[in-house]
Amino acid sequence: MTDLDVNYITDDVKALIGMESDFCEMPHPVEASEVRRFHHAVMDDSPRYSDAGASRYGGPVAPLGFPVHMYRRRPGEPDPLDGMDRPDRDGLDRKLRPGLPPIDVPLTRLLNGGYRYTFYRYAEIGDRIFVKSRYRDIYQRSGRSGVMVLFDIEDTYVNQDRELLLETKNTIILR
Amino acid sequence: MLAKTPLFDSINVGDSITPLVKGPMTTAHIMRWSSAIENWHRIHYDRTYAQEHDKLPDVMVNGSWKQHVLIQLVSDWAGEDGWVVEIDFQFRGMDVPGNTLTAFGTVTETRDCGAYGLVMLEIGLKNETGQNGTPGTASVLLPKAGGPPVPYPFDPAILAGAES
Repeated sequence: MTDLDVNYITDDVKALIGMESDFCEMPHPVEASEVRRFHHAVMDDSPRYSDAGASRYGGPVAPLGFPVHMYRRRPGEPDPLDGMDRPDRDGLDRKLRPGLPPIDVPLTRLLNGGYRYTFYRYAEIGDRIFVKSRYRDIYQRSGRSGVMVLFDIEDTYVNQDRELLLETKNTIILR
Repeated sequence: MLAKTPLFDSINVGDSITPLVKGPMTTAHIMRWSSAIENWHRIHYDRTYAQEHDKLPDVMVNGSWKQHVLIQLVSDWAGEDGWVVEIDFQFRGMDVPGNTLTAFGTVTETRDCGAYGLVMLEIGLKNETGQNGTPGTASVLLPKAGGPPVPYPFDPAILAGAES
Protein backbone atom coordinates (compact mmCIF):
# COMPACT_ATOMS: atom_id res chain seq x y z
CA MET A 1 0.00 0.00 0.00
CA THR A 2 1.36 3.45 -0.87
CA ASP A 3 0.53 6.54 1.12
CA LEU A 4 -1.82 7.51 -1.73
CA ASP A 5 -4.13 4.75 -0.52
CA VAL A 6 -4.32 6.01 3.04
CA ASN A 7 -7.53 7.74 4.03
CA TYR A 8 -6.61 10.29 6.70
CA ILE A 9 -10.14 11.65 6.88
CA THR A 10 -11.28 9.16 9.49
CA ASP A 11 -14.58 9.39 11.32
CA ASP A 12 -12.76 11.12 14.19
CA VAL A 13 -11.38 13.72 11.79
CA LYS A 14 -14.76 14.12 10.04
CA ALA A 15 -16.33 14.81 13.43
CA LEU A 16 -14.22 17.97 13.67
CA ILE A 17 -15.64 19.51 10.49
CA GLY A 18 -17.95 22.38 11.39
CA MET A 19 -16.85 22.35 15.02
CA GLU A 20 -16.79 25.87 16.45
CA SER A 21 -15.25 27.11 19.67
CA ASP A 22 -16.60 29.65 22.10
CA PHE A 23 -14.78 32.96 22.32
CA CYS A 24 -11.46 32.26 24.06
CA GLU A 25 -9.54 35.06 25.72
CA MET A 26 -5.87 35.47 24.88
CA PRO A 27 -3.65 34.85 27.93
CA HIS A 28 -2.85 38.52 28.40
CA PRO A 29 -3.95 41.89 26.98
CA VAL A 30 -2.18 43.63 24.09
CA GLU A 31 1.18 44.71 25.54
CA ALA A 32 3.28 47.62 24.28
CA SER A 33 6.46 45.54 24.46
CA GLU A 34 5.01 42.68 22.39
CA VAL A 35 3.69 45.16 19.83
CA ARG A 36 7.12 46.79 19.64
CA ARG A 37 8.92 43.50 19.11
CA PHE A 38 6.34 42.53 16.50
CA HIS A 39 6.63 45.68 14.39
CA HIS A 40 10.41 45.76 14.81
CA ALA A 41 10.58 42.19 13.46
CA VAL A 42 8.33 43.09 10.50
CA MET A 43 10.52 46.19 9.99
CA ASP A 44 7.37 48.32 10.01
CA ASP A 45 8.13 51.59 11.78
CA SER A 46 4.77 53.29 11.40
CA PRO A 47 4.29 55.82 14.23
CA ARG A 48 0.75 54.55 14.80
CA TYR A 49 2.23 51.70 16.89
CA SER A 50 4.05 53.94 19.35
CA ASP A 51 2.57 57.42 19.27
CA ALA A 52 -0.98 57.91 20.48
CA GLY A 53 -1.21 61.16 18.54
CA ALA A 54 0.01 59.76 15.25
CA SER A 55 -3.25 58.36 13.96
CA ARG A 56 -6.99 58.78 14.16
CA TYR A 57 -7.42 55.19 15.34
CA GLY A 58 -7.01 55.87 19.05
CA GLY A 59 -3.93 54.29 20.29
CA PRO A 60 -1.17 53.51 20.13
CA VAL A 61 -2.48 50.56 18.13
CA ALA A 62 -1.09 47.15 17.23
CA PRO A 63 -0.43 46.17 13.60
CA LEU A 64 -3.64 45.03 11.88
CA GLY A 65 -2.72 41.34 11.94
CA PHE A 66 -1.20 41.31 15.44
CA PRO A 67 -4.10 39.50 17.22
CA VAL A 68 -3.50 36.40 15.09
CA HIS A 69 -0.24 35.77 16.96
CA MET A 70 -1.38 36.61 20.49
CA TYR A 71 -1.94 33.15 21.86
CA ARG A 72 0.65 32.17 24.48
CA ARG A 73 1.12 29.03 26.51
CA ARG A 74 -0.94 29.09 29.69
CA PRO A 75 0.28 27.82 33.06
CA GLY A 76 0.22 24.03 33.06
CA GLU A 77 0.32 23.64 29.30
CA PRO A 78 3.24 21.55 28.00
CA ASP A 79 6.46 23.31 27.06
CA PRO A 80 6.77 23.16 23.24
CA LEU A 81 10.52 22.77 23.64
CA ASP A 82 10.13 19.55 25.62
CA GLY A 83 11.63 16.78 23.55
CA MET A 84 13.62 19.06 21.27
CA ASP A 85 16.63 16.84 21.88
CA ARG A 86 14.87 14.32 19.65
CA PRO A 87 16.02 14.85 16.06
CA ASP A 88 12.49 14.49 14.63
CA ARG A 89 10.70 16.88 17.01
CA ASP A 90 9.41 19.87 15.01
CA GLY A 91 8.75 22.31 17.87
CA LEU A 92 5.03 22.60 17.14
CA ASP A 93 2.01 21.10 18.77
CA ARG A 94 -1.03 20.03 16.81
CA LYS A 95 -3.42 22.31 18.63
CA LEU A 96 -4.02 24.77 15.83
CA ARG A 97 -6.35 27.08 17.75
CA PRO A 98 -6.86 27.66 21.48
CA GLY A 99 -10.55 26.73 21.43
CA LEU A 100 -10.49 23.81 19.02
CA PRO A 101 -9.45 20.21 19.70
CA PRO A 102 -5.99 19.27 18.41
CA ILE A 103 -5.76 17.40 15.14
CA ASP A 104 -4.82 13.75 15.13
CA VAL A 105 -3.48 13.02 11.66
CA PRO A 106 -0.25 10.99 11.44
CA LEU A 107 1.55 13.31 9.01
CA THR A 108 4.65 15.11 10.18
CA ARG A 109 5.25 18.17 7.99
CA LEU A 110 3.10 21.17 8.77
CA LEU A 111 2.78 24.12 6.37
CA ASN A 112 0.77 27.30 6.30
CA GLY A 113 -1.12 27.43 2.99
CA GLY A 114 -2.37 30.99 3.13
CA TYR A 115 -4.73 33.49 4.68
CA ARG A 116 -7.64 35.76 3.88
CA TYR A 117 -8.07 38.68 6.27
CA THR A 118 -10.98 41.11 6.58
CA PHE A 119 -10.15 44.08 8.78
CA TYR A 120 -12.57 46.23 10.79
CA ARG A 121 -10.64 47.86 13.63
CA TYR A 122 -7.16 48.02 15.17
CA ALA A 123 -6.42 46.35 18.50
CA GLU A 124 -5.18 48.97 20.97
CA ILE A 125 -2.54 48.62 23.68
CA GLY A 126 -4.32 47.24 26.74
CA ASP A 127 -7.19 45.63 24.82
CA ARG A 128 -8.28 42.15 25.87
CA ILE A 129 -8.59 40.00 22.77
CA PHE A 130 -10.91 37.04 22.23
CA VAL A 131 -10.99 34.59 19.33
CA LYS A 132 -13.68 32.21 18.14
CA SER A 133 -12.57 29.53 15.67
CA ARG A 134 -14.21 26.95 13.44
CA TYR A 135 -12.97 24.02 11.38
CA ARG A 136 -14.72 25.01 8.15
CA ASP A 137 -13.49 21.98 6.24
CA ILE A 138 -10.90 19.19 6.44
CA TYR A 139 -10.03 17.29 3.28
CA GLN A 140 -7.35 15.24 1.62
CA ARG A 141 -5.56 15.81 -1.68
CA SER A 142 -2.86 14.04 -3.62
CA GLY A 143 -0.01 16.19 -4.84
CA ARG A 144 3.38 15.67 -6.46
CA SER A 145 4.92 15.02 -3.08
CA GLY A 146 2.22 12.61 -1.91
CA VAL A 147 -0.89 12.98 0.16
CA MET A 148 -1.71 16.13 2.05
CA VAL A 149 -4.51 16.95 4.46
CA LEU A 150 -5.84 20.52 4.42
CA PHE A 151 -7.55 22.24 7.31
CA ASP A 152 -9.64 25.32 6.47
CA ILE A 153 -10.11 27.33 9.65
CA GLU A 154 -12.19 30.47 10.20
CA ASP A 155 -11.44 32.85 13.07
CA THR A 156 -13.22 35.89 14.45
CA TYR A 157 -11.31 38.28 16.72
CA VAL A 158 -13.05 40.78 19.00
CA ASN A 159 -12.02 43.05 21.87
CA GLN A 160 -13.36 43.26 25.44
CA ASP A 161 -16.39 45.20 24.21
CA ARG A 162 -17.11 42.49 21.60
CA GLU A 163 -16.20 44.98 18.88
CA LEU A 164 -15.15 43.15 15.74
CA LEU A 165 -11.42 43.54 14.93
CA LEU A 166 -10.81 41.11 12.11
CA GLU A 167 -11.92 37.86 10.52
CA THR A 168 -9.55 35.34 8.98
CA LYS A 169 -9.71 32.25 6.81
CA ASN A 170 -6.57 30.16 7.05
CA THR A 171 -5.49 26.92 5.40
CA ILE A 172 -3.08 24.66 7.31
CA ILE A 173 -1.50 21.78 5.41
CA LEU A 174 -0.11 18.54 6.84
CA ARG A 175 1.87 16.28 4.56
CA MET B 1 4.81 60.37 9.41
CA LEU B 2 1.91 58.35 8.13
CA ALA B 3 1.72 58.20 4.37
CA LYS B 4 -0.67 60.55 2.63
CA THR B 5 -3.70 58.67 1.42
CA PRO B 6 -4.12 58.58 -2.37
CA LEU B 7 -7.44 59.86 -3.66
CA PHE B 8 -9.70 57.42 -5.46
CA ASP B 9 -10.15 59.89 -8.34
CA SER B 10 -6.45 59.67 -9.17
CA ILE B 11 -6.25 55.85 -9.33
CA ASN B 12 -6.14 54.00 -12.65
CA VAL B 13 -6.07 50.32 -13.50
CA GLY B 14 -2.46 49.31 -14.05
CA ASP B 15 -1.05 51.77 -11.49
CA SER B 16 1.65 50.41 -9.20
CA ILE B 17 1.56 51.14 -5.49
CA THR B 18 4.68 52.08 -3.54
CA PRO B 19 6.72 48.88 -3.08
CA LEU B 20 8.43 47.73 0.14
CA VAL B 21 11.88 46.15 0.09
CA LYS B 22 13.03 43.86 2.93
CA GLY B 23 16.42 42.30 3.21
CA PRO B 24 18.71 40.72 2.36
CA MET B 25 17.05 38.41 4.87
CA THR B 26 19.33 36.64 7.34
CA THR B 27 18.94 33.99 10.02
CA ALA B 28 18.93 36.89 12.51
CA HIS B 29 15.79 38.36 10.92
CA ILE B 30 14.13 34.96 11.05
CA MET B 31 15.16 34.48 14.68
CA ARG B 32 13.83 37.91 15.64
CA TRP B 33 10.43 37.17 14.11
CA SER B 34 10.14 33.65 15.52
CA SER B 35 10.99 34.98 18.95
CA ALA B 36 8.55 37.91 18.71
CA ILE B 37 5.62 35.60 18.08
CA GLU B 38 7.01 32.61 20.05
CA ASN B 39 6.95 30.26 17.08
CA TRP B 40 9.37 27.40 17.71
CA HIS B 41 8.95 25.58 14.41
CA ARG B 42 12.34 24.00 13.84
CA ILE B 43 12.44 24.69 10.09
CA HIS B 44 13.17 28.33 10.97
CA TYR B 45 16.40 27.79 12.97
CA ASP B 46 17.76 24.25 12.51
CA ARG B 47 19.27 23.90 9.05
CA THR B 48 20.00 20.18 9.44
CA TYR B 49 16.38 19.53 10.42
CA ALA B 50 15.03 21.73 7.61
CA GLN B 51 17.10 19.94 5.00
CA GLU B 52 17.06 16.36 6.24
CA HIS B 53 13.62 16.05 7.84
CA ASP B 54 11.52 18.46 5.78
CA LYS B 55 13.62 18.23 2.57
CA LEU B 56 13.86 22.03 2.34
CA PRO B 57 16.76 23.91 0.74
CA ASP B 58 17.59 25.85 3.94
CA VAL B 59 15.91 27.34 6.99
CA MET B 60 12.77 29.16 5.87
CA VAL B 61 11.74 32.80 6.04
CA ASN B 62 8.48 32.53 8.00
CA GLY B 63 5.25 32.68 6.03
CA SER B 64 3.76 34.32 9.12
CA TRP B 65 6.29 37.14 8.69
CA LYS B 66 5.66 37.51 4.96
CA GLN B 67 1.94 37.99 5.52
CA HIS B 68 2.54 41.00 7.76
CA VAL B 69 4.87 42.53 5.18
CA LEU B 70 2.00 42.32 2.68
CA ILE B 71 -0.38 43.85 5.21
CA GLN B 72 2.17 46.64 5.80
CA LEU B 73 2.48 47.20 2.05
CA VAL B 74 -1.23 47.78 1.66
CA SER B 75 -1.86 49.64 4.93
CA ASP B 76 1.07 51.99 4.23
CA TRP B 77 -0.46 52.76 0.84
CA ALA B 78 -3.98 53.21 2.27
CA GLY B 79 -2.50 55.76 4.69
CA GLU B 80 -4.32 57.55 7.45
CA ASP B 81 -7.58 58.25 5.59
CA GLY B 82 -8.05 54.96 3.72
CA TRP B 83 -8.76 51.43 4.95
CA VAL B 84 -7.53 47.97 4.01
CA VAL B 85 -10.77 45.99 3.69
CA GLU B 86 -9.45 42.62 2.71
CA ILE B 87 -6.19 40.89 1.84
CA ASP B 88 -5.57 37.30 0.84
CA PHE B 89 -2.52 35.38 -0.31
CA GLN B 90 -1.15 31.90 -0.69
CA PHE B 91 2.26 30.68 0.46
CA ARG B 92 3.46 28.96 -2.72
CA GLY B 93 7.17 29.67 -2.83
CA MET B 94 9.91 29.30 -0.27
CA ASP B 95 12.26 32.10 0.70
CA VAL B 96 15.56 31.55 2.45
CA PRO B 97 18.38 33.60 4.04
CA GLY B 98 20.07 35.71 1.40
CA ASN B 99 16.85 36.57 -0.40
CA THR B 100 15.84 40.21 -0.72
CA LEU B 101 12.06 40.43 -0.85
CA THR B 102 10.03 43.12 -2.56
CA ALA B 103 6.36 43.51 -1.73
CA PHE B 104 4.48 44.96 -4.68
CA GLY B 105 0.95 45.77 -5.78
CA THR B 106 -0.83 46.69 -9.01
CA VAL B 107 -4.33 48.11 -9.42
CA THR B 108 -6.60 45.65 -11.24
CA GLU B 109 -10.03 47.26 -10.82
CA THR B 110 -11.76 50.28 -9.32
CA ARG B 111 -15.32 50.39 -7.96
CA ASP B 112 -17.36 53.44 -7.00
CA CYS B 113 -18.91 53.23 -3.52
CA GLY B 114 -20.72 56.55 -3.25
CA ALA B 115 -18.65 58.86 -1.08
CA TYR B 116 -15.64 56.51 -1.37
CA GLY B 117 -13.98 54.23 -3.89
CA LEU B 118 -12.79 50.65 -3.65
CA VAL B 119 -9.50 49.72 -5.32
CA MET B 120 -8.69 46.09 -6.09
CA LEU B 121 -5.03 45.14 -6.14
CA GLU B 122 -2.95 42.21 -7.22
CA ILE B 123 -0.17 41.86 -4.66
CA GLY B 124 2.83 39.66 -4.07
CA LEU B 125 6.26 39.23 -2.57
CA LYS B 126 9.01 38.50 -5.04
CA ASN B 127 12.65 37.70 -4.51
CA GLU B 128 15.61 39.00 -6.51
CA THR B 129 15.04 36.39 -9.23
CA GLY B 130 11.53 37.77 -9.78
CA GLN B 131 9.82 34.69 -8.36
CA ASN B 132 6.59 35.67 -6.59
CA GLY B 133 6.24 33.12 -3.80
CA THR B 134 3.28 34.80 -2.10
CA PRO B 135 0.68 35.81 -4.71
CA GLY B 136 -2.52 37.44 -3.54
CA THR B 137 -5.09 40.18 -3.83
CA ALA B 138 -6.25 43.07 -1.68
CA SER B 139 -9.04 45.64 -1.61
CA VAL B 140 -8.58 49.13 -0.23
CA LEU B 141 -11.23 51.77 0.40
CA LEU B 142 -10.08 55.31 -0.44
CA PRO B 143 -11.60 58.76 -0.04
CA LYS B 144 -12.49 60.95 -3.02
CA ALA B 145 -11.18 64.43 -3.77
CA GLY B 146 -12.86 66.89 -1.43
CA GLY B 147 -14.63 64.06 0.40
CA PRO B 148 -14.39 62.74 3.95
CA PRO B 149 -11.85 60.14 5.11
CA VAL B 150 -13.05 56.54 5.17
CA PRO B 151 -14.96 56.13 8.46
CA TYR B 152 -13.20 54.32 11.29
CA PRO B 153 -13.92 51.63 12.38
CA PHE B 154 -14.68 50.13 8.97
CA ASP B 155 -18.37 49.67 8.21
CA PRO B 156 -18.95 46.98 5.56
CA ALA B 157 -22.29 48.61 4.66
CA ILE B 158 -20.21 51.14 2.70
CA LEU B 159 -19.50 48.43 0.12
CA ALA B 160 -23.17 47.75 -0.62
CA GLY B 161 -23.92 48.82 -4.17
CA ALA B 162 -20.27 49.18 -5.20
CA GLU B 163 -20.09 49.68 -8.97
CA SER B 164 -17.23 48.84 -11.31
